[in-house]
Amino acid sequence: MGSDSLAIDLSHVSKIYRGGIHALRDIDIQVHPGEIYGLLGPNGAGKSTLVKIMMTVVRPTHATGSLLGEPLGRKATLARVGYLPEHHRFPLWLTGRQAIEFSGAMSGVRRVLRRRRTSELLEKMRMTEWEKVRIGSYSKGMQQRIGLAAALVNDPRLVLLDEPTDGVDPVGRREIRDILVEMREEGRSVLVNSHILSELEMVCDRVGILVKGSVAMQGTMDELTASSQRYEIIIKGGPPEWIGEHGLAAKAVDGGLTKLVMPTTDPESIQPVLDRLRASSCTIHALQPIRESLEDLFLRAVTDPETGNALMPGAKGDALIVPPTSPRSDLEDGEGGS
Amino acid sequence: MTQTLALLHAAYRELNARKLFWVTMALSLLIVAVFAALGINENGITILWWEFDLEFVNTRFFPREVFYKVLFTTFGIGFWLTWLASILALISTSSIVPDMVSGGSIDILLSKPIGRTRLFLTRYFTGLIFVTVQVSVFTVASFLLIGIRGGAWEPWFLIAIPLVVVFFSYLYGVCALVGLLTRSTIVSLLVTMLFWLFIFGVHSGEEITQSGSIAYELDLKQVQADLAEAVEYGDPIEVTEPLQEVVDSVQASYDTWAMTHAWFYGAKCILPKTSETIGVLDRTLRKNAGLEVGLPEETEGRRRGPRSGNMFGTTSRVPQREIDRIQSERKDSRSLTWIIGTSLLFEAVLLGICCWLFSRRDF
Repeated sequence: MGSDSLAIDLSHVSKIYRGGIHALRDIDIQVHPGEIYGLLGPNGAGKSTLVKIMMTVVRPTHATGSLLGEPLGRKATLARVGYLPEHHRFPLWLTGRQAIEFSGAMSGVRRVLRRRRTSELLEKMRMTEWEKVRIGSYSKGMQQRIGLAAALVNDPRLVLLDEPTDGVDPVGRREIRDILVEMREEGRSVLVNSHILSELEMVCDRVGILVKGSVAMQGTMDELTASSQRYEIIIKGGPPEWIGEHGLAAKAVDGGLTKLVMPTTDPESIQPVLDRLRASSCTIHALQPIRESLEDLFLRAVTDPETGNALMPGAKGDALIVPPTSPRSDLEDGEGGS
Repeated sequence: MTQTLALLHAAYRELNARKLFWVTMALSLLIVAVFAALGINENGITILWWEFDLEFVNTRFFPREVFYKVLFTTFGIGFWLTWLASILALISTSSIVPDMVSGGSIDILLSKPIGRTRLFLTRYFTGLIFVTVQVSVFTVASFLLIGIRGGAWEPWFLIAIPLVVVFFSYLYGVCALVGLLTRSTIVSLLVTMLFWLFIFGVHSGEEITQSGSIAYELDLKQVQADLAEAVEYGDPIEVTEPLQEVVDSVQASYDTWAMTHAWFYGAKCILPKTSETIGVLDRTLRKNAGLEVGLPEETEGRRRGPRSGNMFGTTSRVPQREIDRIQSERKDSRSLTWIIGTSLLFEAVLLGICCWLFSRRDF
């Protein structure tokens, strides 16, 4: 896919705030059209700063790249971009409809069109009943729905959502997730900042994990977990002597069981091992393919490889170096192994 | 245009929600209604159907049209528009910039396809537009009142609209800058009030020192003339020497007053001239609307100082009335460019700083 067709194509994005705080360090990020990209990271990792740079709210110290094919920082491009800021605050004296229409007008949407779009979005967000009520009397979840509608009123090709499910109840979260999927089906590109990893895992095509101002990991879930995917075979008794021949690692588990780990995603390649176990009269207790969850990935990215502690929030200090994944990292104190 | 109208509409909703805009508007109309309730006849003044006989306030001294014109200029403009209404307008508009730059709100605005400078200036001018509406309603209502009740249709009164708005804009510029820097409505309002007090102090200081320097200038001329006369008549040194000492002493006093006045004047040159801007209205109405604003000369002299002396206690008897006359002439000789031009330049510099800060700041 050529870079001309990328919805977001940023290179070497750096931001140093006053006082020498490195919020972002040489970030490269690409988002393809029609994909949902999840941007993760601990508090202070620089996620919001990156989004704000794209929306011209924050000026980068250095950045090259484009948004929807136009140079980064070009105001006119923002007419085709929707944005839901974290902790957004519409004037409390506006009604839900007025807030959405104001957002549309500021994006340059003509009156007739923005009224029609507003009605559609109110319906989609299930806020039609509340359209004439002032935002000041809305719950946090309702305000978030109105914010989401305001981000979509200009029919954007690219949508940036900073913590869209913040303060939203589980039902509302599911609805927002459905809206994200719907946006993808409509061909929009979506970049989502969120802490709710399980939700992102369900909808994101690709994820990037920001830690201390740097991209620690970026790719599809399959790409990111490829090196950690494995099969685990739990057998009764101790490990057979021949396991080293098949590249297996072993670890004793409770109940007199042993866990054999084979670093492969190919089911064919475990068949000889299973045959040999049967031939050795081993009782196979369980067999399961293992893939890291997004939470596992995230925790791996934000954990200091030397100390095992979570990396401190904020981006000040040395740039991050993320260790490669080892499928045997949980076997360090295990028995045997090759 | 869509964006400008949206910002204007949003600002209207904001002011509408705060109610203070409508309170100020209602008070303006109430004051016009009070003016309308006042009347004057050959015996004195009337309030609705009550009549109060007054010896010096009746149509024998004040033609009806002058009565209403004085009411409008003295109380309507001099008291209401330039003091109370301005304070209320500052209170109701001081939140416009801080609210705009508050967290969560500014992200929404800056993420729209509108330049930062245009965004800031549009928000700034929306504040001024609403003050213009308030001043216009009061002035037009007063114009109609003077026409209907006083029988004088004087279009020059409408010049109060741009002048009062320009006067307000000097203060609003300060309010916007402080609001942008601190993001606090209360701080911006307080600093603006203090700034207003400061420029009022500079204005008063300039007026007093100008008056003092005029008094000593006239005094100096008088004592120099006395000395020249003594010398001319060949008076002995016992007479001329004390006179010379007086001349030297007055010269020193004059130098001090003149230098102090020069400092105040210099400060005033770069500061916005609120009092003088409203003074332009007085000048214009005196010249074009046949209105002498202020008290009659005889009483003015008695009010501000002894008839044959002055408040500075100069050696010769320079009458306060003469000092006031010269000072008034000098003030009237100040050009519009100096009064309004330099004030607008000050405001433009403030707005330039605001736009620069707003364009460069990360939110």
